[in-house]
Amino acid sequence: MIVRRSMVILTSVMATGALTLTACGSRDDKGGDSDNGGGTTLTIGVDAPLSGENSTTGLGIQYGAQIAVDDANKNKLVPGVTFKLKAFDDKAQPATGQSNATAITGDKTAVGAVGPLNSGVAQSMQQVFASANMVEISPSNTNPALTQGKDWQTAKKRPYKTYFRTATTDELQGSFAADYAYNGLKKKKVFVVDDKQTYGAGLAKIFNEQFKKLGGSVVGTDHVNTGDKDFGSLVTKIKTSKADLVYYGGQYDESSLITKQMKDGGVKIPLFGGDGMFASTYIETAGAASEGDLATAVGVPADTLPAAKTFIETYKSKGYKGDYGAYGAYSYDAATAIIKAVKAAVDANGGKVPSDINALRSSVVDGVQKSDFEGISGKVSFDEYGDTTNKQLTVYQVTKGAWKAVKTGTAS
Amino acid sequence: MLRLGTGPRLAYRSPMTGIGPVEPVDSSDREESYDVIGTDGPRLTDRWSARWRGLPPRTRRATLTATTIALLAAGVLLPRTLSGDQRPEPEDTPVPWPANVTAWRYLGPAGLPEPPGTRPTSGRFRFAVDVRGGPPVTLQVTGAAFTGLTAHALPDAFTVHPGTTRRVTVEISVSDCSVLPQNADLPFLDVTLRNARAIQHHSFIFGQAYSRDLFRLLRGACAATPAPQPGRPTGSAGSQNAD
Repeated sequence: MIVRRSMVILTSVMATGALTLTACGSRDDKGGDSDNGGGTTLTIGVDAPLSGENSTTGLGIQYGAQIAVDDANKNKLVPGVTFKLKAFDDKAQPATGQSNATAITGDKTAVGAVGPLNSGVAQSMQQVFASANMVEISPSNTNPALTQGKDWQTAKKRPYKTYFRTATTDELQGSFAADYAYNGLKKKKVFVVDDKQTYGAGLAKIFNEQFKKLGGSVVGTDHVNTGDKDFGSLVTKIKTSKADLVYYGGQYDESSLITKQMKDGGVKIPLFGGDGMFASTYIETAGAASEGDLATAVGVPADTLPAAKTFIETYKSKGYKGDYGAYGAYSYDAATAIIKAVKAAVDANGGKVPSDINALRSSVVDGVQKSDFEGISGKVSFDEYGDTTNKQLTVYQVTKGAWKAVKTGTAS
Repeated sequence: MLRLGTGPRLAYRSPMTGIGPVEPVDSSDREESYDVIGTDGPRLTDRWSARWRGLPPRTRRATLTATTIALLAAGVLLPRTLSGDQRPEPEDTPVPWPANVTAWRYLGPAGLPEPPGTRPTSGRFRFAVDVRGGPPVTLQVTGAAFTGLTAHALPDAFTVHPGTTRRVTVEISVSDCSVLPQNADLPFLDVTLRNARAIQHHSFIFGQAYSRDLFRLLRGACAATPAPQPGRPTGSAGSQNAD
């Protein structure tokens, strides 16, 4: 008995001694790393709508990238390099996005960019980044043509080797939504609406085709303009069509008003949309009228990504505006892919930052293409088109005033 | 002073992304065990002090000698350990949700082609399933995308260990032609996944090769089938003949 007791005490004392030594060692290590001042500052641009329409999700992109940059600097991910994020507001306008792309590529400290939010804006930016041989990674663009060319359904061809995305495409999103509408919700008659934008019209078209293939009927279609506020005539058309579901290709700004005016007009059927609708602002604006509405979104719920836990806590503790839920983690991973590519370029150059910014940008494009790491949204790597290999999707439904995941899927 | 206390449990939930098709599992998750550690017992130093005073002088001397030797040895060994790669403690690695570490890949139809003239109402398809990390994942196929089909794996439930790939065969049967599409993109399998973290209901979506092979089965099974009576199946997993 005494021997056992003595062993317990001995073990405890040894553990205390070991802890003391470990603590001393940690302090010594930190001291040894402290001479990492000076060095090079490199800029990562971020472009998204940061004010006005779509800004809820746009701000989530900005601050997702900001946290990635802060983490990289804090952890000295690239010794001798301090990263700086420079945010540009494109107001969801293609022309503004193009100007921002020119400004980013004109900055001789810039090595890459995260964004934009909107596929239509991306179309106007891709050529600018390609001309500068600078990498651009969108955490949210879903239009298939951006990576696979305009004939993506018949002959895929990558238009720009500098463009990548961490979000999956509408080919998957539209089909997944159509299946859930037809087989999950048992809806047979749908009224399809889009906002005539690259993203919205493309997504609505894919949903339309797939829903009919499954056996459903498209009993009406219509288009709206971004910025519209009065959807009275649309509501009348939907009511007349006897549809049991409305599918909307577009952003939450319009769809939140459409669903409210639909329900106010006595059309009590759910509205289903894509990731452009997946924002807390949708529910806040539509109020109780949004209950039962649905949206698909890229990726799986952030709650189920253990690696995103710290990211979410940081986002909240910093009091950042916007909504991280839709694209925040994907923006973080996009920025991290650029930072890791810079690290690879520096390592390949004997630990020094290449003095020629054009050479560095070129190396970063190559490095991003070779990305292969565990991000906070899952595995980060890109296929031959620049599309993410992490093809996950979730169907959300507004339940008791909050988005709740009702179905998740992964494409191989 | 070292004191083990009950810290605040981390609230970890997005305001907009409630977790839907999942169920919690009684697990060895670190947060679950955290409360147990945090019971408010006597302080360690108080307990050590009391026990030390209760020991005979000979035992105290022997303990002090052994401790001195141990500390000297630790002083030599620990700096070497600390200079190496500092890997994170296993406790810091969260248990992943099963759907986030599990991947399916379509390999092709299983077995020999059916003889000409036959109209099988079920077919077998082969898949590779791999689990990238975390604890083992147990899977069960529950459906095959469309109403009018039933699906199950052979065996019905199977487990895949992390870092391994397991090949499985899934049998899909046509139960009602009247509700099946003639063609559809990106068909999937509905699968229930379970690991130490959660039970998730998840769809694995496959590309053109699986779509082509699946619809070959569907067209064969339903091509010459007369319009079905409501509520009456036209075939089943256990029957090779349309009834």
